[in-house]
Amino acid sequence: MESPNNQVKTSSLVQSLVSQMNNITLNRIGKMTLENARINQIFINRGKSLAELRNQQIGQGESAIIMASGPSNKQHDPIIPIKSSGFKGALIIPESAMRYLLSNGVIPDLIVTVDPHPTRMIRWFGNPHLTEESLKNDDYYCRQDMDESFANELATNREVLKLLKKYGKQLKIAMSTSAPKAVVERALETGMEIYWWNPMLDDPDQEGSMTSELHRINELPSVNCGGNVATAAWMMAHAVLNKKHIALTGMDLSYYDGTPYRKTQYYDAMLRLADEKELSSFFTRIYNPHTESWFFTDPAYLWYREVFLEIAEEADCTTYNCTQGGILFGNNIEFIPLLQFLETHI
Amino acid sequence: MSSFLKGNFQVKKDVSKKNETETKKNLESRFEQEALKHLGGSIAFVKKKKVDWNKKI
Repeated sequence: MESPNNQVKTSSLVQSLVSQMNNITLNRIGKMTLENARINQIFINRGKSLAELRNQQIGQGESAIIMASGPSNKQHDPIIPIKSSGFKGALIIPESAMRYLLSNGVIPDLIVTVDPHPTRMIRWFGNPHLTEESLKNDDYYCRQDMDESFANELATNREVLKLLKKYGKQLKIAMSTSAPKAVVERALETGMEIYWWNPMLDDPDQEGSMTSELHRINELPSVNCGGNVATAAWMMAHAVLNKKHIALTGMDLSYYDGTPYRKTQYYDAMLRLADEKELSSFFTRIYNPHTESWFFTDPAYLWYREVFLEIAEEADCTTYNCTQGGILFGNNIEFIPLLQFLETHI
Repeated sequence: MSSFLKGNFQVKKDVSKKNETETKKNLESRFEQEALKHLGGSIAFVKKKKVDWNKKI
């Protein structure tokens, strides 16, 4: 197929939103993060500092795989080649990928969680108090396209509860102090080994910064998350565990062409602002020359992409995007098939 | 239409016809302000930083 001349189709609205995305995010989660960190002080002694993770062997050698939960997982099922290759490096995942791995009998070396959302995050861990009634208040899991098993909400919740009962004690979690209390309690209840850290909210060297405030609360190290948990997991791999070859799977940061808007992450928020027919003004279409196909993305994901490309430039590791789809490609990222990575980095 | 409709009284205050481009810009700006309230990432990003281990650790 011949590459199209115009490989990015976006609007001035999207560009403006992306340029303000860090401030938007900080305004939304800053206070909540500080509040959660204060609440979590009562649990701090039941875990260790992230600094202690540096003294442990997390996966053999210098390679790691970050397995995010993008829609490409459904297309390519990356756990199959990872299992059959006998990959011995570190397998690091956001909490949203836990069910996928555990239901395939694979125990990740490290789970990462950072989002302070008060009600949604617990679902990735199994919510012991989930009822039909509580589901009526939020259809996020019913709509989201990360792990579609979660659309069958009560059944999947039961499955996750069961999986964590079985595997909880074998799991290590890098728990951000921003995590809501329910997530922390659930991790403790399942017997996970907790490693605490603070998310970097702003420049810690600035007078009166929120990051310094977090440090005053608990004296834990702070990690730059790059806007989202998957990038935080990548940061853990290279800046905390010192891995030099890091593959990404399920890191689409976008949706396959033809995905209904209602399956996208910010659908409910967008629908408050515009009619269904007008939602296309919020999305950007990007042509991926590696897969020779189009993807579309929302402003937050586009911001994640820009941030990742920026920090990948400064990283002292090689990043291989083995997602086999999506919009995360550019300088400092090798876009290769997962099998190729596994052949050379066992 | 304007050739049929003729004003036949004087308004007390001056009324100026809004510039269409200006109106559109205002709408876009209001829309953007609303969008800012509802969208956002999971967590913040800080330029040129990786991990701050802090001195005590």
